[in-house]
Amino acid sequence: MKENPKRMRRGQYLLAYVLAALVMMVASYSVPRWLPGDFVTAMYSSSHVTLNAEQEADLRAYYTQRQGFGRYVVDFFTLNWGYSYAFLTPISGLISEALPWTLLLLGSAHLLSMILGFLAGVEAAWRRGGVIEKAGVGSMTILEGVPEIGTGVILLLLFALHLGWLPAAGAETAYVTHSAGRWILDVVRHLALPLATLILAYFPGNFLLTRGSMVMVLKEQFIETARAKGLPSLRIRYAHAARNALLPMVTRFGLRIAFMVTGALVVETIYAYPGLGTLLFNAISMRDLPLIQGIVLLSSLMVLFVNLALEFVYGWIDPRVKHAS
Amino acid sequence: MRKRCTCLFSFAVALLLFPVFPDLARAQVQEIRIADSKGDWGYPNPFRHYPRGPGYIRMSWVFDTLVWKDRKGYMPALADSWSYDPGRMAFTFNLNPRARWHDDQPLTAHDVVFTIEYFKKHAYSWISVDDVSRAEAPEPHKVIIYLSKPYSPFISDIGGTMPIMPKHIWQSVDNPEAYNDPKAFVGSGPYRFMDFNKAQGTYLYEAFGDYYQGRPKADRLIYIRSGQPLVSLTSRQVDLANIQPDMAEPLKQKGLVVIKDERGWNKKLMINHKKAPFSDKRFRHALAFAINQQEIIDKSHRGFAMPASYGLLSVDHDMYNPGTPSYAFNPEKTRTLIESMGYQKGADGFYQKDGRPLKIELLSSNITVAGQSAADRDGEVIKKQLEQVGIRVDLVNLEQTTTDSKVKSWDFDLAVSGHGGVSGDPRILNEMISSQYGAGSVNSARYDDAPELNRLLEAQMLEMDQDKRKAIVYKIQEVYAQALPAISLYYPDSMAAYSPDKGIVWYYTPGGISKGIPIPQNKMSLIKKSDE
Repeated sequence: MKENPKRMRRGQYLLAYVLAALVMMVASYSVPRWLPGDFVTAMYSSSHVTLNAEQEADLRAYYTQRQGFGRYVVDFFTLNWGYSYAFLTPISGLISEALPWTLLLLGSAHLLSMILGFLAGVEAAWRRGGVIEKAGVGSMTILEGVPEIGTGVILLLLFALHLGWLPAAGAETAYVTHSAGRWILDVVRHLALPLATLILAYFPGNFLLTRGSMVMVLKEQFIETARAKGLPSLRIRYAHAARNALLPMVTRFGLRIAFMVTGALVVETIYAYPGLGTLLFNAISMRDLPLIQGIVLLSSLMVLFVNLALEFVYGWIDPRVKHAS
Repeated sequence: MRKRCTCLFSFAVALLLFPVFPDLARAQVQEIRIADSKGDWGYPNPFRHYPRGPGYIRMSWVFDTLVWKDRKGYMPALADSWSYDPGRMAFTFNLNPRARWHDDQPLTAHDVVFTIEYFKKHAYSWISVDDVSRAEAPEPHKVIIYLSKPYSPFISDIGGTMPIMPKHIWQSVDNPEAYNDPKAFVGSGPYRFMDFNKAQGTYLYEAFGDYYQGRPKADRLIYIRSGQPLVSLTSRQVDLANIQPDMAEPLKQKGLVVIKDERGWNKKLMINHKKAPFSDKRFRHALAFAINQQEIIDKSHRGFAMPASYGLLSVDHDMYNPGTPSYAFNPEKTRTLIESMGYQKGADGFYQKDGRPLKIELLSSNITVAGQSAADRDGEVIKKQLEQVGIRVDLVNLEQTTTDSKVKSWDFDLAVSGHGGVSGDPRILNEMISSQYGAGSVNSARYDDAPELNRLLEAQMLEMDQDKRKAIVYKIQEVYAQALPAISLYYPDSMAAYSPDKGIVWYYTPGGISKGIPIPQNKMSLIKKSDE
């Protein structure tokens, strides 16, 4: 019986990803345990409460009940992710409260900065040598070097403190009853400053990358052929050139997903915006092992899933990839 | 005509009354919003709030204690009056008969007895009921608490800190940490707990209309997390926030009220006195003479602090001993002391002994003060000061829990640390000096090598006479400053600002709330006083 090579290749792909997922499970279980200190030290040792030796031993016994790796794996697949030491509530609940805000902020930031950066990069490359292209490359190179904390604080001071147009903190006005429309408007107003900060951080990289790829593609012979055939410039730019310049951008998107959890920590801190980054940061500070494990594992698996999906997207964008493999 | 006269008369009366009774013109406040830079301080009940000041404060809105402190000192809370009988070693509390639980059940002496018994079985880390032998309720609103031995911090620790819990709810709860029912938040305080959003770090409380001290002034109390509390305050999105001292003047100009705490928090230098050369008192004294407290304040805090007493207790404390030994900056004395230990300066200008350089490691991290992480350059300034006298220093900046872990396991030489409570009950001396009381704290010197100090610390806990206790506390400060197992550096200025628009007056509680929490969120600010 002859085996289908295409199916074999897909099987090998999936096997590699399954192995990577297992490695990540081991890492998410063991790495947090290497952190110096434990929950009792983090929570109590410099607190207002001064424990005596007996109280401390009791608390340590309560919070360091050992969980073997086997149990950890079984619990993970049965969605029994345990309880946070600090919150004393289920991990799954904590993550599901924070995840939507992370997806909203970082998803919007990545998507918008990718679309805007791609379009601007294509147009700049098409106008190579012109004033607009030179100004764009210069300003984007400068902007690429400005850290998020810098743009974040400037935007905050300008739009929240001096002009008072936008709120300074949070993802919505806490405990105010709105109609659905007003609630959406409220969420958008709170999102504006953190989103603008992230777009300003991501957009220059996307612009420069697309422009660079596009410049290379525009030198290819098939572009010359398209021009010689007298095709409209818009079609040459987007249907022929831009499609081929899209691959590096997709790769970058996949890589950025790895920073989905921690990527917005600075912005979350400046604007007190809720999200997995803040949740993870606080969990690490407090040595809340179950919560660290849950977030790290979930984000690792998200990265794997997105990269697996991109394997198929590559083939769809550029058929040469499919044929080459 | 007559009608017009009546209207004018009424208007005139209202105008006349306004300055005398401003509250007549002030409507019930709809809500108060308080900014917090961290947001999450656990759920507000005794077993689920974080063991830090902001965690206790969030619980204190919901759960009342027997007595409380306002700006004038101890005042009645659930107990209308109280007395101590030294013969029987018993405190008697007469409870306020109007006190009720949020679920409308009456609060009685049986709830107080139950609370003590419950905390004996399930420890509440903020207090110790070890010295309480038993409690009884001879009448529905009278409770007697018997001690097994005299316990001088009783009113501070148990009377003013222990939250009273409803027996009808908790009597069937065996695992209080895991008890996650809405009934776990039924208290007798001025506010009902409504919500804690863990992702957003927000809390919502609603006024308890039947509160025995009267309906609170604000209908809703809301905490919001704010990365920049100052911006939230100036844009009037919140009514109260902690501020940096250098922002005080600009905020005053914007119409905000700025308040300053007494000196109840001290930054200090922890010393590993279990290893040489730090185990030698001469070396610890040499360190103290080498450190210029004022220079740290000027360079690291732009002058917004005050040098601390070496006796640990705050200079604002009524038991502060002005005769406590001090170590004014004197590099010459440092050199003399170090050389008396056999150290000699090498060609590089640093001390060495038997060919080995005197090199010490200084741990530093951002420390949380009143719930806010406070960045400073204390470690750098101290390193420079010690190197100027010839002690080579490795400055190691670490994340706070890592530093705490190293200090806890005595894996350090020197560490910059700090804690509050130094203007509260003098029990803080025991916790911050003796390992018997402070084994679990990285801020405690855990120093047991001075028998006289150990004896005095025990004695002050047993002395119920305030004047006699004061004499013992004076002596403790002297002996501690002589032994110098840790060096108090300074008291940072602690400030907050609030909007006066809603007519609420916030203040720092003298000695701190409960066991010395330096946060200006005393629930009495939202309770109408009979004289208001």
